[in-house]
This record gives sequence, structure tokens and C-alpha cells, in this order.
Amino acid sequence: MALLELREVSKSFGRLQAVADLSMTVDKGEIHSLIGPNGAGKTTVFNLITGTFPLSAGSIVFNDENISGLEPHQVARKGIIRSFQQTFLFMQSTVLENVLTGFHMQCRAGAFHEFLHTPKARRTEGACRKEALEIIDFMNLGPVRNEVAGNLPHGHQKALGVSIALACHPILLLLDEPVTGMNPTETGEMVERIKRIRERGMTIVIVEHDMKVIMGVSDKITVLNYGSKIAEGLPHEIRQNPQVIEAYLGREEL
Amino acid sequence: MGKPAILGTVVLVLLLVALPWLVNPYVLQVLVLTLAYSMLGLAFAFTMRVGLPRFDVAAWWGVGAYTTAMLMLKAGLSFWLTLPIGGLIAMALGWVICKVVIPRGMMVFLLAGMVLTMAAQQIFASVPFFGGWGGTDVIPLPTIGPISFADKRAVYFLGLVFLGINLVVYKALFSSKIGRAWNAIGSSLGLAGSVGVDVVKYRTANVLIGNFFIALSGSYLVVSTMVAIPTMFTFANTINVMMYVVVGGMAHTLAGPIIGALVVTFIPEYLRVAKEYEPIITSAAIILIIIFVPGGILGLLKNQLWPRLFPTHRQNPTTASDSEGGSDGAA
Repeated sequence: MALLELREVSKSFGRLQAVADLSMTVDKGEIHSLIGPNGAGKTTVFNLITGTFPLSAGSIVFNDENISGLEPHQVARKGIIRSFQQTFLFMQSTVLENVLTGFHMQCRAGAFHEFLHTPKARRTEGACRKEALEIIDFMNLGPVRNEVAGNLPHGHQKALGVSIALACHPILLLLDEPVTGMNPTETGEMVERIKRIRERGMTIVIVEHDMKVIMGVSDKITVLNYGSKIAEGLPHEIRQNPQVIEAYLGREEL
Repeated sequence: MGKPAILGTVVLVLLLVALPWLVNPYVLQVLVLTLAYSMLGLAFAFTMRVGLPRFDVAAWWGVGAYTTAMLMLKAGLSFWLTLPIGGLIAMALGWVICKVVIPRGMMVFLLAGMVLTMAAQQIFASVPFFGGWGGTDVIPLPTIGPISFADKRAVYFLGLVFLGINLVVYKALFSSKIGRAWNAIGSSLGLAGSVGVDVVKYRTANVLIGNFFIALSGSYLVVSTMVAIPTMFTFANTINVMMYVVVGGMAHTLAGPIIGALVVTFIPEYLRVAKEYEPIITSAAIILIIIFVPGGILGLLKNQLWPRLFPTHRQNPTTASDSEGGSDGAA
């Protein structure tokens, strides 16, 4: 069943066509990867889905509802959450604070209760704290939960980005380069966790350069080049697709 | 709170209470102004938390001052009644402006603030109802029971109470979930939106709360000056307010602006000998502070002096921040 559907989506910046007539479908419960050479428009697609950039043409449907033209926070409320490519965290806050911020939509006691710190506000806060700690443990960040995010090594920051996204209770999780810059051990751990996140019932779209990771976790792969879809299919189909090989020729071994 | 903290608080409170009898009337008057300025600094720092530098401070300050003056003079209202009215007017007008300005981002907000400050001053000056460049008539001094605010000491204590109210409200807001959403906006706009924070709504709420307290400070100013004059609400004022925050220490949203207002207000007072050079000396001092003490006075105390004076108190910041509940974690 289609959870997310892009219908002939286009985006241009001035005369630059970043995404051209892209149609793709993400089914419920799958891990769907979006790959392509640098500048192929992968991150732009994320920005279009999340409402960060307005569409130039086409439409995006999520859960049978047209979400084109919504603001980023409205898209987030529909259940589409991204983790950022740049480690775009709340750098001066601790890991725990960062994850608690992700609970913005979940733990609402009402402005009145929150301002006066009523028992109701404290109960919701307590529940969020408990779940935040669970997420932190799940992402193996337990030992550093009181460290300031800006002081963490790169791998931990990536994991924190995903933790914040998980705190939002996503239906569809968009992971922007989740393993880029990680060492093999960290990469292995992240791959394991991505699979376990899917087991929790979330649908995942990944943008990533690491082909080994892509081939290992994906149910389906869409390949972009110069903003257009050049191929789509199962990992082994993509691996043998001549157009894909051509697009990557001399750049990556598939 | 540990024993030294309690002791420190007691000493501070005693000092604040005794101060009016320890200083001469001139210094007392400057202290009263400093209290009004501190509230402006707090509002500036408060809105900086959501990544918006506000240059409209003098405008809302004037709105508070003129509301109080006009309502007391023309309508014969009690001073105390004009306080919430001034605040609500500043919020209502602010809301209309925010509607237009906030969705368009930080730069538009900043520029609109500058225009607003200059426009407000011009309106106060050129609408005859407000009394022109000469300002309003002298307002009757408010009283509360047997206390008359003809006594500058009483004005000083009124200012302390107002400042206290400011601090309590800001503190409660920062340590709530609302404060967490504000911090999120301030530290990463994109991430805040992507975790579902309605940036425009939260920024607007922040700015309007700030407006209320800026207007309150304006009403308080009138008790001290007894008139409202357009030249009290200039763009230079707005710049000064920013300096309080920078000099005090940007990271310290509550104490920073107060310390900054004290320093920035008093230093020029002691440079009176070199009066014509005072703005130059003050500006140079500010630039030097920004270069060499980027954390402001409180940043210097916390990071340099404090660990040297009390080496045993130097604890792992990570263990300290957990017990604190993290409200100031992003400070």
C-alpha cells in the first residue's frame, strides 16, 4: 500500500532544474533508498517532501492526503520526520535535552499548565523523559546522555539526529546520509538500528552515498541523475542497470 | 541551593534594600533608570532566544510611557490601572505588526523594528494630542496607601518589584516546555520546524510577551520622570539595550541584561569629565568587550574568575546539568 506518493514533482531554482517530473511511490513498511551522484537532487527531494522548499509543479500525497504546500511543522504533524544531513542539532544542549525537544508534538499539557508547572505538566514531562531515555538507550547514547551535543564525536551526533527524529513518533522517517563520515563499526551499528526502527513499524526513506549500506538495507531503490529518475527497482536490479552504471561510471563501484 | 548560594542571596537582598540609604540622590536616580533599562534588556535577551534581534524596544517603551501619561492626564485613571492597559495596547499593536513581519524572517523583523522605533518617536512628537516635542504635561504622582512616589526611594522599590515580576515570569517560561520550543527555534530554525514547532506562532508569542514587559517598563519610567517626552524614546536607546545584553553576557538571559544595564549606565556617568568624548570611549569599550570578552561580564566570571577563586567548585558540567532539570541547558 502506498504511504507516500510523489506525482510529477518538479523544482527549479531560477533556471536550474533541480528536480524534474519525478514520480515515485513509497510503500508502507519498506526501506526505500534514494541514490544518485552528487547534485542529483536527492536532498532537494527531502526538502520538497518536508515542505522546506515549495514545489514548482506536481503534488505530494501522504496517507491519501495532499500535503503539497504545507509548512514544515505541518508536515511534521502529519508524521513525516527527517533527520538532517548536516549535523543540525541543538549544539549547546545536552543529548537528553535534544531528544526532549523532539517530543514537542507528543507531550502537550497546554500552555497554562506548562507555565504554572502544574502536576499535569509534570506528569507529561515525566512520561516524555522516560521515553526519551528509552530512545537514547536504543540508539546507544546512554553513556553520553548528559554531554553537550556540540562536544560529541561525529558518529554520536548522527545517532542523536536520528534519536530526535524518533522522539517525534514518525510514520515516515527520512534519513539524510545517516552513515556518512562514520567508521565501519559505527556504520554497522547504524545499519542494525535502521533495521530495528523498521521493525517498530516505521517506513523509512534513506539518502546515502555508501553503496554497501544501501544494497544491504534497501527493499527498493530509486536512482536520480540531474533531477530525473533514471531507474527504480530491487537492489540486485539496480546493481545491474546499465544506465545506473553509466551515471556512476568512474565514481563508484556498484 | 547550597549554603554559599543562600548566604549570597541574603547578602544581595539586604544590599538591594539598604542601597537607597547608602547612595546620594543622583546615584539613586540613575539606579531607578537602570531598573527600567534592565527590564528592556531582559525583553531583548528574551526575544534573542528565538533568534530575533529586536530594535523596536524604544517604540514599545514609548507606548507604555505615553499610555500611562495620557490615561492619567486625560482620563484621570489610576496609575495602577494604566499598567495592564499599556501592556495590552503594546501586545495588540504588536500582534498586528507580527502578523505581517514574523513569517518573513529575522531580517524583516529587525528592519521593521528600526522603522517602528523611528516612526513611534515621530508620531509622539507630531500628533498634537501627545503634546508635541515638548512632551506631555506633568503627571500626578501615584500613591499606594500611605506611600507616595514623590520619594525616590519608593520609586526604586517599585522598580525592584517590577523587575522581580519580570524575572519570575521569564524564569517560569524558560523552564517550561514553551521555553524548550523557544530554545529550539533559537538554536536551529530548520530542526525546530522539522520536529513540529510552529516557528511563527512561537516567535509571535515570545515577541508579544516581551512587548508587555517593555511597556510596563515604560509606565514605570513615567513615575520617575513624571512626563513622557518623544526624545526619551530614540533609536539610540534601542542600541543601548542591545549593549546591556552583550556586555552582561548573551548566554545569561536573566542576570546578563541586569548586570549589563548597570555597567553600561554607570560607566558613562563617571566619564562626565570627558563628556564630549564619552560616546567614543563607551563605543570603544563595547567593541573591546565583544572582542576580548565575548561571553560578557558573567561569562568572564563563570569561566575565568570563578574557577580560579574556588578551584574545588570546578565540577564536571555534565553531572551538574542533569540535576538542574536542564532548563538553562541551552543558555
